[in-house]
Amino acid sequence: MTSIYSMRQALATNLATISGLRASAEIPDNPSPPIGIINLDTIDYNLAMNQGLTQYNFVVTVIVGRAAERTMQRKLDAYSEISGPQSVKVAIESDRTLGGVAYDLRVERSNVVGSITINDQIYLAAEFTVTVYA
Amino acid sequence: MAKYVVTSNTVTLNGGTVSPSVARAELVLNAAEVDVTDFGSNGWTEVIGGLKSGTVSLDFHSDFGSGAVSALFQDLVGTIGTVTMIAGNGTAPSATTPRYTATVMINSFTPIAGAVGDLSTFSVSFPTTGAVTYATA
Repeated sequence: MTSIYSMRQALATNLATISGLRASAEIPDNPSPPIGIINLDTIDYNLAMNQGLTQYNFVVTVIVGRAAERTMQRKLDAYSEISGPQSVKVAIESDRTLGGVAYDLRVERSNVVGSITINDQIYLAAEFTVTVYA
Repeated sequence: MAKYVVTSNTVTLNGGTVSPSVARAELVLNAAEVDVTDFGSNGWTEVIGGLKSGTVSLDFHSDFGSGAVSALFQDLVGTIGTVTMIAGNGTAPSATTPRYTATVMINSFTPIAGAVGDLSTFSVSFPTTGAVTYATA
């Protein structure tokens, strides 16, 4: 029914509906914040007979900008909201079948809200765990 | 055929394949124990086999799509159905992938189940009626 590549692309498409947020289906060499990056974490096979259901666990890393900038925390707060135009959860769940390649998906949680280092720069980032059933 | 991990046993209901929505399948065959203990049993109980019975238990992933499993069960409660199960991850009956056919009383269906955040599933357990047959070809 599905391919991992298609799911990545569709998740990025959903994420890109947030105004001002870039989305990358794969890990870029030099991410330019604010950006959401789709990473495949784990796959749980054989949830039904005949490969009838597989659970894909994605991690969407949203990098908002340099940690030193005051507004970045507020931007991260907006991305972490449960509703609103900047909500990552709302954006990713805007098409829960990912254009027909999945049965359903759910943004489970946001975690690891804090700083990460990329190319010697400290950025604020959050990870969103997304469970996709396909 | 050797020991195997269950990944794709085939399950049909009334002729339609439902395997991709089945997370667990179980067929249990029983024979009643009839007590024939008497004064000649030397202090031990003695039993013989009585009437046979069976139970088909299936765990499903809910799906109300057209022709999907939840929609399929909607009108079947109270009816007699036919369940076939092919063991050994088989798709056709053979010596190493035997097919069991059971006529069952579809006595329950749980269309809505699950807590928030859970994958929606439902489980059924049907008593068999009549003989459970076994085929290897």
